Amino acid sequence: MDSARSGVDQVFAALGDAGRRSLVEAVATRGTATATELAAGLPVTRQAVAKQLSTLADAGLLRAKRAGRETRYEVTPAPLEDAVEWMVSVGAAWDERLAALRRSLAKKT
Amino acid sequence: MEVEREIVVPEEPGEVWESLTDPERLEEWFASDVELDARPGGEGVFRWGDGDERRAVVRELEEAERLVLDWDDGGTVAIELEPVVDGTRVHVVESSPDFAPAFEMRALAWTALAAA
Repeated sequence: MDSARSGVDQVFAALGDAGRRSLVEAVATRGTATATELAAGLPVTRQAVAKQLSTLADAGLLRAKRAGRETRYEVTPAPLEDAVEWMVSVGAAWDERLAALRRSLAKKT
Repeated sequence: MEVEREIVVPEEPGEVWESLTDPERLEEWFASDVELDARPGGEGVFRWGDGDERRAVVRELEEAERLVLDWDDGGTVAIELEPVVDGTRVHVVESSPDFAPAFEMRALAWTALAAA
């Protein structure tokens, strides 16, 4: 449980920055990308982008592949995983149920 | 992994409790057909209009405070009521059957991204 918790903390820490979030989106849009490619469109250095990409990879959001002298990153295919589906569908079900509970209570009073 | 939701309703905890434990009231918001023996160890059957059916056992029950159901698929739902100034806070935590921690991490990450 502690290791799972620290993993989750790591993910949120990795995402707790708008720049890193947009990097994940940029990688997702391109399919794969290197720090050099991403830095070309941004007002930051390649080194800064590389550091952020490495943080995102450590948190399991990106997958790193060596390609010659550079590292290419791709987004891990998490959106299709059962866990995501579970979280989204159970969350939506509770939103609906609690709204219905509110209506049901209001009707009775 | 868990899904957590919370609402505040203007009614008293005692009245909200009825909605959590009386099958007829449960049918107004939780499922379309409900059988529930609302005592610790009691069994419940919940059916929905789409043909879905889930069975549960009451793991914990503290009147007007806390209801915990264990689903037969290994998941759990805990509903807690807390009196607040403007009524009752209804706090729900549904836990999943086990997913691998790596999946959980990425699921959380992706939902965080989607919400950003």
